Amino acid sequence: MKCKWTSAHSLRLSRLLTLIVLLLAVAALFCIPIITEWYDAVSEQEPIRNLLNVIFYISDMLGILAVWELLGMLGNIAKEKLFVEQNVTCLRVISWCCFGVAAVWTPLVYFRLLAVFVAFVAAFAGLILRVMKNLFAAAVAMREENDYTI
Amino acid sequence: MPIIVNLDVMMAKRKISAGDLAERVDITPANLSILKNNKAKAVRFSTLEAICRELDCQPGDILVYEPEGGSP
Repeated sequence: MKCKWTSAHSLRLSRLLTLIVLLLAVAALFCIPIITEWYDAVSEQEPIRNLLNVIFYISDMLGILAVWELLGMLGNIAKEKLFVEQNVTCLRVISWCCFGVAAVWTPLVYFRLLAVFVAFVAAFAGLILRVMKNLFAAAVAMREENDYTI
Repeated sequence: MPIIVNLDVMMAKRKISAGDLAERVDITPANLSILKNNKAKAVRFSTLEAICRELDCQPGDILVYEPEGGSP
């Protein structure tokens, strides 16, 4: 029997992947001390374990919040609520989470130059999401105007 | 919105119910309610034309401009 790939399947896959990422992010909270301890052991530079712990915990919590908002957005899409104020709020929160991660990683650049890439990628993702948020807000306003045109 | 829709007054003058007007103008009662309660963002010329035809009035009898913020 031939199975046809539909948008419902695609949405289910997205929700499943997002849920897996959420579980991984929650699990990572318990592994952060082990990761940072291992990093300090293999790194030949000065130890920065405590700073890494703080950065990783804040980043992970921001990541969990962002993934949670993503799940909310996917739920709205499943309910066919696309251009609603709730989705604009979700995008705004995710965007600020990205900016938050960028801000948290910036001080690490002083100790490890490569951290600049993480900060840059997070800030760029935040910027893209912010533009998406503006786009969604304009679409919500257009939909409202259309709905209330008699 | 500084444009006020005074549909109630004209409907009362012509003694026509909301259901009747909605049917004659060919819009849903829900949309007529949006119009009456000043929730509408825009009115199509075709809708305005039908309302004026059925209520035998001018657009100015239904639509009123009231500047926001009151008097200076």
